[in-house]
Amino acid sequence: MTRRLTAAFLVAIAAVVLATAARAADPKEIPITIENNRFSPEEIKVKAGEPFVLVVTNKDKAPEEFESKDLRIEKVVPAGKTMKIRVRALKPGTYPFVGEYHEKTAKGRIIAE
Amino acid sequence: MGATFVVTLREAFEAALLLGIVYSYLERVGARAQYHWVTLGGVLGLLASVLAGLAVTFLSGPLLDLGPDLVAAAVMFFAVALLTWHGWWMRQHARAVKGDVQRRIDEARATQRLWIVALVAFTGVFREGAETVLFLWGLMSQTTISSWGGVTGGVLGVVVAAVLGWAIFRGGRQLSLPRFFAATSVLLVVVAAGLFSTGIGKLIGLGFIPAGDPLWDSSGLLDDHSVVGGFLSGLTGYRARPTAPEVIGYIVYLVGAGLLLFTPRTAAPATDAARPSAGALS
Repeated sequence: MTRRLTAAFLVAIAAVVLATAARAADPKEIPITIENNRFSPEEIKVKAGEPFVLVVTNKDKAPEEFESKDLRIEKVVPAGKTMKIRVRALKPGTYPFVGEYHEKTAKGRIIAE
Repeated sequence: MGATFVVTLREAFEAALLLGIVYSYLERVGARAQYHWVTLGGVLGLLASVLAGLAVTFLSGPLLDLGPDLVAAAVMFFAVALLTWHGWWMRQHARAVKGDVQRRIDEARATQRLWIVALVAFTGVFREGAETVLFLWGLMSQTTISSWGGVTGGVLGVVVAAVLGWAIFRGGRQLSLPRFFAATSVLLVVVAAGLFSTGIGKLIGLGFIPAGDPLWDSSGLLDDHSVVGGFLSGLTGYRARPTAPEVIGYIVYLVGAGLLLFTPRTAAPATDAARPSAGALS
């Protein structure tokens, strides 16, 4: 049973790694900054139908979690760090996101058009 | 204070629920002496969470851009397999103890399988653990006199989650044995279905699975950004705008696990009740 469970675990990881390797390289990078528990810019415009990468820099002294329920993204960005978040190709529309640790102030949206 | 309370309560509740269930499960099958397996799993889960939090904070590089997401997705699917297996195991016990007044199990053989409860405890704590650790850490490092309310709220959220886990443990002891097994099996299947669907959502977010349009939009009815919606999304995988892969995954898991765990076994041998451990632990 131990072996079976370990095997399942390894298969899951392998599947994800293979899927990563199979993906197209180098989508467009879009910078966004967190400062004083706010995003800057708060509105990001992207081309619909093209995947992109959000480059999130957290200038605050506390970690923040970039979260978008619609995009199925949850990503902790530690204090003073920059993280890259891959975003799938979007249909035209507005996709809100928040900083989950400071939801009242850290809000923004991605507009795909 | 309210906002941080909700965040940590939401993150810690699933762990508390699973810990409550596996502790009371051991109690109910007469394996109280084995509590330490759950405790060990929980403590290791906490340690792993702190380590993961430290890794995210102090390491850097391309590995960190994708690594935590891959680990999160793997942990989710691993937890689904684990919970399904635990449900299967409980079902065997439920059949074995039916009509057995002493509800004795073969402890020596049971012990060989007890690392499963340890793993359930471990993944339960580890899944949202790193996030909770980082969140609380962030609150404390940012603390000024005016933000002490936030820290208090965050700590209180974890405490209340623990109390709820304890209440589930106590409640589990009150139920009759068949009811306990039935209730916890249903609960575990719902949690696992939610995890499965959330895992698929994670892969969609990473671009591994095509998303397609949302099948429906129930955000007017129950927004997954709201407090209640957020809890439901953490615990049962609720999404206000679910995509086809998520919905299909949810249904396929529910049906599959339902067939596996809840269909009556017609050909169960009559000797089962008399020999509790015979079929239970093989």
